[in-house]
Amino acid sequence: MKLTTLFDKGTFVITGEVGPIKGAIHRDKSIEPSCAIEALQLNQYVHAVNVTDNQSAVMRLGSLAASVRLKTNGIEPVYQLTCRDRNRLALQSDLLTAYSLGIDNVLLLTGDHIQLGDHKEAKPVFDLDSVQLIDMAKGLKRGYDISGSRIENYLDMAFGAVVNPNSDPLELQLMKMKKKIDAGAQFFQTQAVYDVKIFENFIKKAEKFKCPIQVGIVILKTPQMGRFMNKNVSGIHVPDEWIDEIGSVAKEDRKKKAAEMAGKFIKKIKSMVQGVHIMPLGWTDVVPKILGHADIN
Amino acid sequence: MHATIQKPIGEIVKHIQPGEKVFVVGCNNCAWKCYSGGEDETKMMAKRLAARGVEIAGYTVPGPQGMSLCKLSHTKKVLMEDHADEVKNADSFLILGCGQGVHTVIDATDGGMVHPGCDTVFGGETVSDSHIEEYCSLCGDCIIEFTGGLCPMTLCAKQLLNGPCGGAENGHCEVDPDRPCGWILIYERLKKLGRLDLLDAYQPAKKNSKWSRPRSLEVSPTEATFCFIGGKVTVSNQD
Repeated sequence: MKLTTLFDKGTFVITGEVGPIKGAIHRDKSIEPSCAIEALQLNQYVHAVNVTDNQSAVMRLGSLAASVRLKTNGIEPVYQLTCRDRNRLALQSDLLTAYSLGIDNVLLLTGDHIQLGDHKEAKPVFDLDSVQLIDMAKGLKRGYDISGSRIENYLDMAFGAVVNPNSDPLELQLMKMKKKIDAGAQFFQTQAVYDVKIFENFIKKAEKFKCPIQVGIVILKTPQMGRFMNKNVSGIHVPDEWIDEIGSVAKEDRKKKAAEMAGKFIKKIKSMVQGVHIMPLGWTDVVPKILGHADIN
Repeated sequence: MHATIQKPIGEIVKHIQPGEKVFVVGCNNCAWKCYSGGEDETKMMAKRLAARGVEIAGYTVPGPQGMSLCKLSHTKKVLMEDHADEVKNADSFLILGCGQGVHTVIDATDGGMVHPGCDTVFGGETVSDSHIEEYCSLCGDCIIEFTGGLCPMTLCAKQLLNGPCGGAENGHCEVDPDRPCGWILIYERLKKLGRLDLLDAYQPAKKNSKWSRPRSLEVSPTEATFCFIGGKVTVSNQD
């Protein structure tokens, strides 16, 4: 089911996220890859689960194979597709393949740079940027490829995009967000946010676009993780209050605390957005508790 | 200019056969500016090679200063006439210049054996005597009219044409934190110029055919034709 159907109905859309395994799916169908197991744990609490595409430029199982595996298990996948490793032929072909295999939602991104990953000598492709990718995907929806040739059986998928509310200057990020909407983006998932004021400032400027936005939440597991993200992950800032709060409890109580913190944060923000995108980074069991703290059923 | 950096001497020597007589050729333009193949470096290279047991047939840097090695007619005259005897005696040529210079020497010497003495790293601006910076990727499909003259194909690590990725931190690129985000540079420049409106235009996918190699340019006083795989463009400079 397309997420746009839910947004149109006014549903508060909840999505989770899993990363495909570093390896192949077992031929023995009774053995699920860990990403499918995590997605199954999330399934009853979320509307769909994002499947990342060689995230952080680390080579893994393809996001399409993992997305199809989720679908087979009755989980609605949001197939992530990036421009880093594919030129326009491959991107279009993968979009058509994804639709042919039953994928209804695709998140169209530029992708992390090769230098951030585990294949630093690979050739970065970036034939298209994310705006051009969305525009090209819209063409496939209307019956044309990017070269203007007709295609048969147009694809009919919901197109998601990303935006970073933490970005400075924000004006530049909003300019790109508008370009994505004009190109055909139908909903947005944001980069992880930890600061209500920053998000409020962003949403005030972005709500005029009238495009559904899901706030992005990365579960803060430990103070070390917060400090690591501040040092190494650009575009995300974890305030000291968050780091201190998660560090204020003993290790065995961290999951409980993390759920409480993320939940309270979502509670403050949920009236401003049309959904939430939770990136649990393996802590899938925490997600229901987060939603509980956020008073989301 | 074509920025070049000398290959490590050990790597250069490794490819020279025992007894091979080498003629060293420098470039009085770009490589001179890079201290990779001007007159001093070329003479020094001959000495460094000789000190490592390489037989030197001769050396030259086709001049005057500012003359490019890649001007075939001049290089041919210097090598085949001014240095005729030494060149005849040479088994190979070590070129301290860019890849274009290496090919120029092949053409000038009717197919002589060549060794590249440099890596050609990029086309750049000589910002100062000690600093060369890349501002153009030579893609053949220029869009800098929309970016205040700053090239996102070059200044953005992901070559994004429609705005930044969102990963910049304090104005710095997420891929290389020592560098500024190219899109923030573009934004700040256009803001200063009062032309942020230029950023609103959607930039369509690049015409990569213009970037497909090899390419050539046929020039004349009145028009030029740019030839690339799959097409050619002729433009008059008179109308």
